[in-house]
Amino acid sequence: MAELTATRAGAPQDLASQDAADVSRVLSGDVAAFEGIVRRWQGPLVNMAWRYCRDRNRAEEMAQDALVRAWRGLASWRRESSFSTWLFALAANVYRSELKRFPTVNLPLEEVAEPIRPAQQHDELHERQMGERLRRAVLTLPPRYREPVILFYFHEMDMGSAARTLRMPEGTMKARLARARELLRRRFPHLNELTASAQRGSEIGD
Amino acid sequence: MNNGPKKNLGANFDPIDRILSADEQLVPSSGFVSSVMERVREQAAAPPPIPFPWKRMLPGFGLAVGVFGWGAFELVRYLPQAIRHASFAAPHLPVFASRDLTQAGWVALACVLALLSWWFSSRLTQHSRIL
Repeated sequence: MAELTATRAGAPQDLASQDAADVSRVLSGDVAAFEGIVRRWQGPLVNMAWRYCRDRNRAEEMAQDALVRAWRGLASWRRESSFSTWLFALAANVYRSELKRFPTVNLPLEEVAEPIRPAQQHDELHERQMGERLRRAVLTLPPRYREPVILFYFHEMDMGSAARTLRMPEGTMKARLARARELLRRRFPHLNELTASAQRGSEIGD
Repeated sequence: MNNGPKKNLGANFDPIDRILSADEQLVPSSGFVSSVMERVREQAAAPPPIPFPWKRMLPGFGLAVGVFGWGAFELVRYLPQAIRHASFAAPHLPVFASRDLTQAGWVALACVLALLSWWFSSRLTQHSRIL
């Protein structure tokens, strides 16, 4: 994700040096310098929060909390890891504790229903519905599996970045992801049919 | 919100990967930066938190350590003697004293029950996040 943001805002090195310069200015007492950090990271942090709660307003509130917490704790960034790694790890902590205080989904995984007879409907609308249900189902996973899934896809399937954000070994991350996928597949047994139909559709299209 | 996958994953890809990596992208609202900065400025302008009064606490802490230390020292000094002279035969208590002891037992039981009830209710409120 950091790399993605960097491609939007400039080279990754530029972004890192901008972050480092802004952090130094904030630490020396220039509060306004924090605005640069907020502008650069607002998008990723709001999107990360969105994946945790799937509620736009709440996602913005959670991202705000994370940024304010980051401002308070800027001195604790040791510059050994990249600023983005530190910021995402802090945000993950904020989001986790926020959702622990006020859980967003009360449905158990077993109650998230898959659409009926999905293989018979090959349209895009159906796939979109299935996608939304699957994303909601992610929120019903037990926390130890939920967060690896959220962060793995947030980091665009970069296992290393996701593991660093959770401060967890990559092996553990892989194992938890595999278990989460297994739970989701059990809940959505028609997912493979959906893929097969999408494949057929793309072949016809070609 | 922008929809669509950021990575072009083919149909052969794991369906879970394909669907979850194609999540919509939110664009923060226009007032987001200003509201964050407002909160930051408020916090920056707020007076620093009152530090814990270590200097005032230290004499009291020292006194408490002294009292408990002296108690422990006395206990260690007299405990062996007390054990040596203790008789393990049941003392002969007058009737009124034994009645008082029975009542004390009931009081102790009530205290234990009250403690258990407090512990149980606090556990319940913690789990249900009422407080």
